[in-house]
Amino acid sequence: MEGVVFSIQRFSIHDGPGIRTTVFLKGCSLRCFWCHNPEGMRPKPDIQFFPDRCIGCDECIKACQHGAAIKVDGVRVYDREKCVVCGECVDTCYAGARVLTGKYMSVDDVVSEVLQDRAFYETSNGGVTLSGGEPVLQPDFTYELLSRCKAEGLHTAIETCGNVRWEDEARMMPVTDLIMMDIKHMDSAKHRWATGAPNERILAAARKFAAMEQPIIFRIPVIPTVNDTVEEVAAIAAFVRELIEVRNQAGGDGEHTISLELLPFHRLAGDKYRSLDMDYRARDLITPTREHMQALTEAARSFAVETRSR
Amino acid sequence: MTGISVTEFQELSYQQRIEALRATKMRITKEKQDIIGSMNHDDWGLILPPADRREIVQTISGSGMPITDALIAGFNVASNHPSGGFFGPKAVGENYRALLEMHPIYIDPISSLAGGYMANFMSYRKPSWNPDLDFSFLHEDQKKYGLGSGIGASQHFCHDLEIGFKLGWGGLLRKIHAYREWHQTNETDAKLLGQKMDFYAGLEAIVLGMQNWIMRTADQAQAMCQAERNPQLRENLEALADINHRLVTEPPSTFREACQWMNWYQMAARMFNGNGALGRMDVLLQPYYDRDMALGILDDDEAIFHSACFLVRNTDYIQLGGPNASGADTTTHLSYLILEAAHGLKIPANIGICVGDNSDPELLRRGVEIMFEDKCGTPKFLGIDRTTEGFMKNGYPVEIARLRAYSGCHWSAIPGREYTLNDCVKINFGKVFEVAFHEMMGDTQIAPSAAALYRLYESHLRLAVAAIAKGLDYHMENFHQVFPELFLDLLCYGPIEKGLDASHGGVEFYNLCVDGSALATVADSFAALEQRIDKEHRLTWQQIAGHMASNWAGPEGERARLMMKGIPRYGSGASPADSWAEKLSAVFTLLVKEKPTPAGFNMIPGLFSWANTIPMGKELGATPNGRRAGEPISHGANPDPGYRKDGAPTAMAVAIARVQSGYGNTAPMQMELDPGITKDEGGVEHVADLIRAHFNLGGTQINLNIMDAEQVLEAHKDPSKYPDLVVRVTGFSAYFASLSPDFRQLVVDRILTE
Repeated sequence: MEGVVFSIQRFSIHDGPGIRTTVFLKGCSLRCFWCHNPEGMRPKPDIQFFPDRCIGCDECIKACQHGAAIKVDGVRVYDREKCVVCGECVDTCYAGARVLTGKYMSVDDVVSEVLQDRAFYETSNGGVTLSGGEPVLQPDFTYELLSRCKAEGLHTAIETCGNVRWEDEARMMPVTDLIMMDIKHMDSAKHRWATGAPNERILAAARKFAAMEQPIIFRIPVIPTVNDTVEEVAAIAAFVRELIEVRNQAGGDGEHTISLELLPFHRLAGDKYRSLDMDYRARDLITPTREHMQALTEAARSFAVETRSR
Repeated sequence: MTGISVTEFQELSYQQRIEALRATKMRITKEKQDIIGSMNHDDWGLILPPADRREIVQTISGSGMPITDALIAGFNVASNHPSGGFFGPKAVGENYRALLEMHPIYIDPISSLAGGYMANFMSYRKPSWNPDLDFSFLHEDQKKYGLGSGIGASQHFCHDLEIGFKLGWGGLLRKIHAYREWHQTNETDAKLLGQKMDFYAGLEAIVLGMQNWIMRTADQAQAMCQAERNPQLRENLEALADINHRLVTEPPSTFREACQWMNWYQMAARMFNGNGALGRMDVLLQPYYDRDMALGILDDDEAIFHSACFLVRNTDYIQLGGPNASGADTTTHLSYLILEAAHGLKIPANIGICVGDNSDPELLRRGVEIMFEDKCGTPKFLGIDRTTEGFMKNGYPVEIARLRAYSGCHWSAIPGREYTLNDCVKINFGKVFEVAFHEMMGDTQIAPSAAALYRLYESHLRLAVAAIAKGLDYHMENFHQVFPELFLDLLCYGPIEKGLDASHGGVEFYNLCVDGSALATVADSFAALEQRIDKEHRLTWQQIAGHMASNWAGPEGERARLMMKGIPRYGSGASPADSWAEKLSAVFTLLVKEKPTPAGFNMIPGLFSWANTIPMGKELGATPNGRRAGEPISHGANPDPGYRKDGAPTAMAVAIARVQSGYGNTAPMQMELDPGITKDEGGVEHVADLIRAHFNLGGTQINLNIMDAEQVLEAHKDPSKYPDLVVRVTGFSAYFASLSPDFRQLVVDRILTE
């Protein structure tokens, strides 16, 4: 069983309890314009091109059989249209100007890397988190990976956007200890504008998760122009409050197992967008101030929802 | 002399007095930076001599590094040798006594402890080695393999302050006289008797010098007291006069007196030969704390204050907590108070916290919390169970092994009973590798391969270890007649009794350090050669030899360099380079433990380069890991920066735990963390969990900086903007602004993951 993984981050301390390893799976069903992992959007491996690192050895041009690595007027360029992502150029590029992002990995390979940090999961009550992209878009691989991690006694978490087939989400639940889910906007039209998809399926998934047992951390990436007003955050908090009630009615302890986390926008991904020839529409947005994040946090807390902010 | 002005009637709280001590320290540090320049070593607590009594010279530090130094003008040593040097216990003792007797007096009326030291006695040792003792027969191998032989290295073992606390200077003098008499009566070998009398003369001179220095200080405190108008300071000066007059002969009886006694001893030992060992400060002071608390003459704030007054003068290596002989944890309330004293000062300090199965987890938690709050690289963390188990493998029972106390950059020693030369003996694996590489390429009978190269490496490493062993024997045979350990001898069990220097049979145990350096440099080199040449055939052996010889010259050279550098490196996790590192460590351990030195001394392997990464790199040509000629070698057991794209400290912690030699000496993990998380957001727990897991995996010691990476990068551009930024450079911590640009670069490189 193989999946497309674009990064494995060890000592991950922002994606669930304790010290964790986060496995990033490639491919996403949303196109959030501020996404800080644009290399995770497309399902197949991509080649990132960083011209600043190029040392001009032209080995990529010799290696490319498809005319994708070429010189135009003495300038080395990369023609993504012609590229079949065979990786030949990357293999010759020791300067790191061409980087293959996303590789096919077996469950065994991923598990063996994850297990290298077992000692740290043990002292910290940490574990493994599957993120992306959208991990549930590779359901067989994700399910197998979670199962193997569970069998190893690890705490498992998924970060999902909810915009996938519910059957696939549901399939993960027996092998998932913690759900982390983004909610970006309560207004479907604005959600579509910001992410490329409406929010109905996402909110439905959230309601179904709430009726289950796993703890859930809902996350709001606070993005100027999208959802950074008190009203917009409050609307999401109100929805989370509803979900707490759903859980309580199902016999669970909503107050202590469902919480909210606000993550401020950071403009860190510009290089990645350029390297993928993607338009970075968030380039002019400003990181919300600490004070503003605090105000939003207070607004969310007014709905009696446990809320944290970074 | 204080950094703040105190009005006539102002009464200062302990907190204000600690702030005043810190302000004075900052002023003194700035003065040192202006006059001495870069100080690429432990901050020490040295104070410059008064402007009219100073002379600036170039010299060699106690750890063998070239340094600029300020001397006390007007002090001239008496030579007993045509070379102009002074050698042997009597000459050394008498010269040191002379220095002590003319040493300027320093009293900070804010401090509860008197004294400050202003010189480095080592700077007066010219030449530092007696030229009659010729070890040029060892030079060839030493140079060939880049050996730090340890010959002539001083201190780097630990005395036991308890002896001093019990005897006082008067008691030490009586002890010297009593044993001198005994040997005069009982030693039948005339030559040996002569040597012993010389030795006692040296010891006696040192004690007399100390008594003079303390007495003069007490007198001056008395004089200052008359002139002082602030009642609080007058009372303090009066107490200083009283305490120090008593301590000229008597042992300490109160907590403050014990701190004052310790202050005198530690300062004078540092000034004598750079000694920074202290050991278990909490255990040593505990009886005085208990007594004074029971009598109601001490409270916690005052205990913190006296500890701070000590720490501001001494950046010694201190252990807090840890097992006693029977295995019970020794952490007490006082351990926390000492930690709080360092926290209040926020200056360079070298306090290690024991972390083990029986340790107090709260002490670890508080230590990490302080790291987050102060960002001063203090405390550091000691994997006490691993070093204890390891030391037992040298044949010691657990009760003895537990007594080893943290007392130097990366090392421990049994206070008063063990001579170690810790951190003084180094093998540069890079040089051994270079010799092997050239031999292979120059021998037409050998078909080059990583495997063939490794066979040669191993045989040269064996020769290097043999050369180290011979050098150690030479040191043990001769050092006592050059620059004996007089100061530490006073507080060891045996030297005074036997009439023998600690470096020459005076103490009970001899476990001599042998550290390997450049582990990552060489592991990555082997892995790169194996992958790029043997497996992928992207280069030939002739080509790589050419690139290394030309130092990666030209566009092809740079491309080859990046190719070799681009392999999965040591620290990336379960890579071939990780396996190479484990193999290199294992063979090093095996060769060091194969047999004792020819004279029979036990050697203990470890992995540590201290601050020698720069000089050791300077003498090494380009290496196949993509390192250019002359660049620093890798740091201790650490992977090279950039070992993983995510820079995961867990990956590093796993890698370093797997290369431990496991005989009680350490291979520390040097770690820089900018966790992007505050202490209140779970940061403390994450870091504490990381520390505990590293030790569970087999790690032995952690030197940690919790830092704001952006601030350090800013400070690198203009250090003067951040005069109080303290970083843990390696085993020691220092003001960032006191480091030379290349040392600052080393720290900066470690925080950049790509």
